[in-house]
Amino acid sequence: MSELKVAVIGGGIAGLSAAYFLAKSGAEVEVFEQRYLLYGASGRNSGGLTVQFNDEELIKLALRSLDLYDELQSEVKFNFLLRKDGYLKIANKNDEAKLESEASLLKKFGVKIEILNQNEVKELVPDINTKAFDLAYYFSKGGTVFPWPVIWGLARGCKALGVKVYDYTPATVVVENGSVKGVQTLDGLHKADFVINAAGAWSNEVSKSAGVELDNKIFKENICVTESLRPYLDPYIFDVSNNAYLSQSMRGEIVGGVVGREIDQIDKKGELDPLIRYAKFATNLIPKLKGLSVLRQWVGVYDLGKNGKPVIGFTKVKGFVQLNGFGRHGMSLGLAAGEKVAEMVLKK
Amino acid sequence: MVKTEMGRLQEHPILEFKRGKEVTIYFNGKPIKAFEGETVAAALYAAGVRVFSRSFKWHRPRGFFCAIGKCSACMMEVDGIPNVRTCKVYVRDGMQVKTQSGMPEAENDVLSILDDVMDTVFPHGSHYLKFTTSKNARRFIVNQLRKFTGFGYPPKAVYQGKAGYEEIETEVLVIGGGPGGMSAAINAAKYGAKVLILDENPFLGGQLVKQTHRFFGSAKERAGTRGIKIAEILEGELRSFKNVDVRLETRAFGIYNGEVGAHQKGEVDKLLRIKAKKIIVATGAYERTLVFENNDLPGVYGAGGVQTLMNVYGIKPGNRGLIVGSGNVGLILTYQLMQAGVEVAAIVEALPTIGGYFVHAAKVSRLGVPIYTRHTILKALGKKCVEGAIIAKLDERWNPIPGTEKKFDCDFICVAVGLSPAHELLYQAGCEMKFIPELGGLVPLRTKYNETTVPGLYTAGDVDGIEEATAAIMEGRICGIHAAISLGYGGKEAEKELEEAVKELDEFRAGPFGQKVVVGIKKCLVEGVKV
Repeated sequence: MSELKVAVIGGGIAGLSAAYFLAKSGAEVEVFEQRYLLYGASGRNSGGLTVQFNDEELIKLALRSLDLYDELQSEVKFNFLLRKDGYLKIANKNDEAKLESEASLLKKFGVKIEILNQNEVKELVPDINTKAFDLAYYFSKGGTVFPWPVIWGLARGCKALGVKVYDYTPATVVVENGSVKGVQTLDGLHKADFVINAAGAWSNEVSKSAGVELDNKIFKENICVTESLRPYLDPYIFDVSNNAYLSQSMRGEIVGGVVGREIDQIDKKGELDPLIRYAKFATNLIPKLKGLSVLRQWVGVYDLGKNGKPVIGFTKVKGFVQLNGFGRHGMSLGLAAGEKVAEMVLKK
Repeated sequence: MVKTEMGRLQEHPILEFKRGKEVTIYFNGKPIKAFEGETVAAALYAAGVRVFSRSFKWHRPRGFFCAIGKCSACMMEVDGIPNVRTCKVYVRDGMQVKTQSGMPEAENDVLSILDDVMDTVFPHGSHYLKFTTSKNARRFIVNQLRKFTGFGYPPKAVYQGKAGYEEIETEVLVIGGGPGGMSAAINAAKYGAKVLILDENPFLGGQLVKQTHRFFGSAKERAGTRGIKIAEILEGELRSFKNVDVRLETRAFGIYNGEVGAHQKGEVDKLLRIKAKKIIVATGAYERTLVFENNDLPGVYGAGGVQTLMNVYGIKPGNRGLIVGSGNVGLILTYQLMQAGVEVAAIVEALPTIGGYFVHAAKVSRLGVPIYTRHTILKALGKKCVEGAIIAKLDERWNPIPGTEKKFDCDFICVAVGLSPAHELLYQAGCEMKFIPELGGLVPLRTKYNETTVPGLYTAGDVDGIEEATAAIMEGRICGIHAAISLGYGGKEAEKELEEAVKELDEFRAGPFGQKVVVGIKKCLVEGVKV
């Protein structure tokens, strides 16, 4: 029997993870990235890592991903600059039920979410304004990762296993008699037994080229960074009630933004409203950030499965596999989801 | 000889320095005398401070450089607030200023040893590749790396500025109050448009305020007048219009779909949201630098930094300088330095001929400054600041010829090798851009009325191609009138003036010095929609 051939569309965290695990098991894998690595949401996010989800499937993926971060860094010999300094979800009273149900669900998986009082939060983040929230749910093993080395490291691991990673190579799916034949690029047909759609915000279009209906919602999110400070902020802070977040990068910048809004068409132009909302949120939460200058602002786009969950699995077209719809949580879920899809494909 | 006192020029043949009340600021705890109206960076410079910060990774010294809030080398902690650009903040009695990088402080930084060893131990990018195989090794290295990261210390105090917010609607918004911007504002306003003009500096005039020399060009465009005087004339005219709102110390940070975000400093720190029907970007240019060994040493300046220090604050940049570049800026600066009693060791020019106008070169030669054509700077000497420089002759392939090195003693080096357009806002706004060497870099495609590919967004001055202030004023006139006409003002009279203005600019550029610009503009000219 000839070698298993897989084409992955999308060079983000999920696509590269799937490519890596498939190649590790001996498959012949090609990755097609329409622009360059880091162009999509995997290169534009703020690197928050948590398992605090309201869904068992997501929790499983997130827990497995945290382990994979450790395993993969050793395997590909690349430091992702991961800081497990905790993930803090804060909220006002109205959102108590939401946080409670996350915490109780996680208990089933043996994961402890600490409910901190305001003094305990002050210990974690001394300059925080405790009037800015009522509740604090803390996952001490969560944290912050620098997304760029994650992608660089995965790509490096892939290449070491013989995976071909093509950048600036848009690809469409070629289907014949209800099963995939491969992908079409400008330089011709690349034959494949399986095609994995890991195209993030562009997944709907890729799916359409395979003749498979996919109705992921597309979101646009603005993030910004300030000038850098010495180590100041350890945990990643997510405000559930204000839909905003901030953390400190390894370079010392305060990175943050407000949760994105749904859009009809992909565009990556920066917006003023989210920047202002974020500035209000950040300076209210940590008043000492007031004098800091914002250095850069950018936009990332991501997709979310229409029922609010990732889309992972086979489709009506034989050999066409979905691996998309992670919403804002690609960094928390993508590694494990890639591994899962690799396993599914290998079992077929 | 020009008298100096406390590092400050006391008499100047052209300029008069009005200094405010004497105050005391504290630099790393040490009292330093300064005068109201001076920026912190300028006052420190006058007091002889040369190392302002240390670089992020190698802990190399960083000093006074751009003087206009762009380069971030002068960032310090001021009254507990980190990362303050000290070249943009004015002294106040009792102000506490601290360097924020270096151990224990920037001047005497024990970590400067990293400069010698870092590359051997940690070559570029190696922090991703070393200590990767075990979880504990990675955690250790991430924790260590994190200790060395960051620039300022975490803020010790809450910023005391009051926050404000203002929504403004205007017909024409002009970003940048230099010659191009002021001219655009005047010409849009004179036909009746409601105009708002912003400038990030506390004064209007842009780079004109440093130009103590007389201008060339057509008599109509104020040839024979000194730059500083032109700024005054334009400002006077601008301020005579009731329909012009001038906001200083106001920085536009983004153009978002016809709406502009800006930050206005003052007693109340204001966020401005400006809705404008027409936007004219006149943000000017940045100075270019050159690649040579130690080019980051304090004492290596751009011409603009030196001019600001000397002509705006009346502070002596040094005792003996070396000028790199013999374009007009280099030549004029040489003359200005000598006016201020500063010795100029030499002018170095890579081209076989002097770049600037003959009159300027002749003036400099009369003063006895040697000009080394076909030479380049190889290296700046010194550990914490410039103590000398080595230059060498170039062969036909622009390589230094061994054995031709010359050493100069100097305490500063001024790099005057041209400008690049400050194009960020245009790029961010979505204008179609093109790299055009003749115009100095990345510039927007535009119509002959200087409207970019984003409808209603215009440019004037160096931001759309490096020329002189005269051309900037003419471009400002063209796009100002065009903006007014498109808003329905001015009628036939304005249309007539517009065509005249276009013709005049074409004629101005038809001269021998405009050839390069004409070639460049052809490459980025697009057909516009007729008004």
